[in-house]
Amino acid sequence: MIAALETAWLDASPAVQDALRLALLLVPALVTGALALRGQAPGPLVRALLLRFRWTNLLFAGLMALSVGLGVALIAQERAIREGSARAADPFDILVAAPGDEIGLMLSAVYLQPASAPLLGGDVLDRLQRDDRLTLIAPLAFGDSHAGAPVVGTTAAFLDRIGGPLAEGRVWEAAHEAVIGARSPLALGDEIAPAHGAGFSADPQAHDGAHLTVVGRMAPTGGPWDRAVVAPVEFVWAVHGLADGHAPGAERLGPPFDPDHFPGTPAFVISTRTLAGAYAARARHTDATSMAFFPGATLSRLHLLLGDLREAMSLMALAAQGLAAAGVLGGLVALTRLFARRFALLRALGAPRRFVLAVVWAYAATLMGAGAVLGLAVGAVGAEALAGLVSARTDLALSAGIGWAEAHLAAAVFSLTTVLALVPALAAYRRSPALDLRAG
Amino acid sequence: MTRPFAPARFAPARAAGAFVPDLLLENVEVLAPDGRPILRVARLEAPAGTALGIRGPSGAGKSTLLHVVAGLLPVASGRVMWGDADLAAMTEPARDAFRRARLGLIFQDFLLFEELSAQQNAAIAAAWAPARDRAAIRARAEALLDRFGAPGDRDVASMSGGERQRVSAARALACDPAAILADEPTASLDRENADRLAGDLLAMAREAGRTLIAVSHDPALIASMDQVVQVVDGEVRG
Repeated sequence: MIAALETAWLDASPAVQDALRLALLLVPALVTGALALRGQAPGPLVRALLLRFRWTNLLFAGLMALSVGLGVALIAQERAIREGSARAADPFDILVAAPGDEIGLMLSAVYLQPASAPLLGGDVLDRLQRDDRLTLIAPLAFGDSHAGAPVVGTTAAFLDRIGGPLAEGRVWEAAHEAVIGARSPLALGDEIAPAHGAGFSADPQAHDGAHLTVVGRMAPTGGPWDRAVVAPVEFVWAVHGLADGHAPGAERLGPPFDPDHFPGTPAFVISTRTLAGAYAARARHTDATSMAFFPGATLSRLHLLLGDLREAMSLMALAAQGLAAAGVLGGLVALTRLFARRFALLRALGAPRRFVLAVVWAYAATLMGAGAVLGLAVGAVGAEALAGLVSARTDLALSAGIGWAEAHLAAAVFSLTTVLALVPALAAYRRSPALDLRAG
Repeated sequence: MTRPFAPARFAPARAAGAFVPDLLLENVEVLAPDGRPILRVARLEAPAGTALGIRGPSGAGKSTLLHVVAGLLPVASGRVMWGDADLAAMTEPARDAFRRARLGLIFQDFLLFEELSAQQNAAIAAAWAPARDRAAIRARAEALLDRFGAPGDRDVASMSGGERQRVSAARALACDPAAILADEPTASLDRENADRLAGDLLAMAREAGRTLIAVSHDPALIASMDQVVQVVDGEVRG
């Protein structure tokens, strides 16, 4: 039986599994509700309670919504960053760089975060060009900038790989021509003078006299390359006073490059036809002079690290939700004491104690349920706002929509709080009607 | 005439002329939470259909007596018999069930739910009644509001004291109880409304042979009762 259930579970689609998880998380609320409300019709009185202290009730539901929204926004944002960063790394099959810091190199090459890196020389290029498994060998020369946007030198083949067909204009035909990212503020025909370096240390005079003319605009990539200025790698070498990678008089742009005249590059992006070829290439090009690695795998390790961070933040969010729920339930216990005389009246009129329990439970559960549903909405808005902020800082295109994980969180909080709603309900259940009738 | 009280007879709908039990309290003692005696009743009888007035100074124990008769307060000793059913020997849920089936209560300050309409207040018992009885309770509540001249669709928050107490009376009668227990029902009303309510309650009780027990300081109401007892310093005197 258990084995059959396990098999059915494994055979089910992820959406079905998520829907079942959601249903299971709601089971405690449904069972508690069924037990509390069985045979009773407390609707009109619950409405009366909700109307009687409408502002206090709104405050309670708002408090719950904020605490649930915090958790929802956190989970949605973390997932959006994970998906956005993975999407941005997609075109980078294998990176080859000087042995050292994989994460730093990945951040520089994929996410165009400014950093200095040792250069790979003609010997590495020669070895790469002799490897017939490789379908793409593209040097990446980064480190320069224009008005805060990175200027990257590479090949037209890699430009096509990362952005596909251009959205506007054409690919460069000369070394002083450039293509801009989809979100660049520049326009076709603009001329720019790249600065050496990036950020506060950028030196606009270092490449004095060098200029680029914008001739094309890439389609959106969803990553930091959308703000970049991409130029032939020969241009970058030239403005740094280096050889252009070709034999003198070759007068050409792009591969193949001449190992004897190769000035060096911080990284190569390489691709293979097959997965097996990719693993073989990684092994082949990892030695004392170079390291080859899958940025996707490096990113996964980074995500694992972020996952631990998420766990810690999720725990904090859960603690915040627990505190909010405890506060709201404490408030409800106090509020139901204000209603004590009315509940005593119900008992005097013949209402069973279970009816009073049903009224208070339904009242509390309504507030908690409203808080959980509102929390999803608050979380969605919060996640979108956070995504906008993170996008502005990282240039990653983030889509922080509400998914199953957030629905599971809201359902878990709702279920837990509906069970805890039995606390004020039982407090009202136990009160003596005669004493409360006299208290008026 | 007394007949055994059985849980099966708790159904709220009571045909006119159906069984109304006699009331008998014997050797009843009620204690405060600190153990101090607050009410003693050597013997108090009210045959079925009697209009019993309870009077006495404030704080003497009149409302306590009414709560004991309603099964709202447990007693330390003695018997509280409605027919053969002894409230003193019942558990709290059983007393609730008895009250639900047999008694209708009216309070001095109405104790209505301000957020509900007069009709919803009068038919409030439908909220906990079995589903099959709910429609009948609502219909009876509506008919009673008509009879008492209280508009059913209005919020009680907008009603005068007289109108509110008439809604309260309709609520007490909506389950067709065998006895009506009223705690100072006319105290919050002007003379005209007090007389009108007293007349309505007595008429409703006598028409159906119901017992009416009213705690009151109102000499006019007390004068209209069949039997009057006085409560002084926690003692019931005939």
